[in-house]
Amino acid sequence: MPPDYSARPAIAIRALSKRFGRLAAVSELNLEVGRGEIFGFLGLNAAGKTTTIRLLLDLLRPDKGDAFILGRHCRKQGLEARSLIGYLPGEMGFYGDMSGRELLELFAGLSAGEVRKAYVEELLQRLEFPAADLQRKLREYSTGMKRKLGLVQAFQSEPPLLILDEPTEGLDPLMQEAFYQLLFDVRHRGCTVFMSSHVLSEVERVCDRIGLIRRGRLVLQSPVGEIRKLAARTVRVVFDEDVAAVPDFLPPGYEILESSARAWTVRVNGPLGKLIQALPGLPIRDLEVSEPRLEEILIRYFREEGR
Amino acid sequence: MSAGLALISHSYRRVRVLVLGAATLLVGFQILLCLAAKTAQELNAFGQLSALIPEFVRQLMGPALISLMSFGGIVCLGYFHFAVVVILIGMGITITTEISAEIETRFVDLILSRPLARHWLITRSIVLFIAASAFLLLAMILGTSLGLHLFAPADVFSPTLRLVRSLALNLGALIVCWGSVTLAITSFARRRSVAGAISGLLALATYLFDYIAQIWKPAAKIAPLFPFHYYNALQLISASGLPWREVRVLLCFAGAGIALAYLQFTRRDL
Repeated sequence: MPPDYSARPAIAIRALSKRFGRLAAVSELNLEVGRGEIFGFLGLNAAGKTTTIRLLLDLLRPDKGDAFILGRHCRKQGLEARSLIGYLPGEMGFYGDMSGRELLELFAGLSAGEVRKAYVEELLQRLEFPAADLQRKLREYSTGMKRKLGLVQAFQSEPPLLILDEPTEGLDPLMQEAFYQLLFDVRHRGCTVFMSSHVLSEVERVCDRIGLIRRGRLVLQSPVGEIRKLAARTVRVVFDEDVAAVPDFLPPGYEILESSARAWTVRVNGPLGKLIQALPGLPIRDLEVSEPRLEEILIRYFREEGR
Repeated sequence: MSAGLALISHSYRRVRVLVLGAATLLVGFQILLCLAAKTAQELNAFGQLSALIPEFVRQLMGPALISLMSFGGIVCLGYFHFAVVVILIGMGITITTEISAEIETRFVDLILSRPLARHWLITRSIVLFIAASAFLLLAMILGTSLGLHLFAPADVFSPTLRLVRSLALNLGALIVCWGSVTLAITSFARRRSVAGAISGLLALATYLFDYIAQIWKPAAKIAPLFPFHYYNALQLISASGLPWREVRVLLCFAGAGIALAYLQFTRRDL
């Protein structure tokens, strides 16, 4: 089911600001997440991702601005807003002497609606969490098991909005795959997912849109496909025979990265048409076009932050 | 409401073993005191016990010493003995600092990401520490009754149930007061150890200060500002009636602490 952007947004943030002393953790943040989309919230450490999430949950009080969850004000209608959320924190705070079962039962009891036992069993099964392990104390759990349990408690009440802070941290590749499938399934049912992540390949794979936060400000907000279009592609032209080494007739936006008698590697900003037109009469055997990876694009943004 | 009850039930499960352990200890202590009082009575050792008390302490205690150095006085000691006060205040600190522990471990993020009003964290602590205090005091009264039933000689004056109840009620008001003070401190703190240490040290300091105030006049002027001033068990043993004024003042302290805790906790960043 395609995301429904026309309805009232799942998350709306308006000029949200939060300072901790001299540090502006979030500054004039404006953001909208449409219903049914999977939104990736990216940024380096201390960029303001978790602060934004904690402001949405009313754990922190903003200095300025407003935030809404499915039309409910996060502070003034906090209980209503939070009844619509499933939350997985980045740092899982557990009591080591509680069992997994006790934890799930506690959060089922604190949830707004009734939690379906069959769905909890399904979640446990999909994340390969043995039922017997639920009786064990949480201090005996590995990092991955704690993460899986955290995911189950976030998903179990089938909320219309999931806020997940670094959800795959500590999960093995198989479980990451199971988690992605789970995300696609809940999105198919109309659930919105707002997730922060450091794993750019993961964001590229599962997210419809991303927002990049830097020093508390949103510096990029775009569909994943659009971001790729902004970046240069790499084209490798392979020849059947030796050709003149460096062509000097390429139009602006084209840059030769590497050239030899039998192959050129060209960085192309924009459409490829002009490159094709510029190659008539040459003995072309093959053209290899490499799409830019989101990771490469975002790393450039991150590097700018470091400067 | 049901979410609030789920939270109370969760916290109750966490402290029940500790409360039961403390109750067992206190019951045992009360019975032991009855046995000790019986032994002292049989050996007619109250005079010797008085002689062991330093002169300045005697002056400090005044005529109340006579009440204390008797079968009934030793039995009542269980309601103002330092160890008993430490156990009860320690229990209050343990229960009311749970919020700081939840903030410190970030468990609070998970709890409050649910549709649960913030005040429930304070309400939960109040319900639990009042219930735990009441349970422990009832256990103490039970221990005293059992000890008297087992060991009280027929021909001596035993403390009446009214006196025991008065001591327990006044002590209960003091414990509730300290619990509330701790709750107010907790509502500002991010770490359980900090909240617990501040509250514990403050309790110890004011406890000692109250003794100092009895022999040092300048301190006596400030003493009414602190809760221990309103729990004078020795006077209670002599007078034998519940000092309602003291109880009211302690409950006012408690009310102020609770109000501050609610106000601060609902406004703060977590």
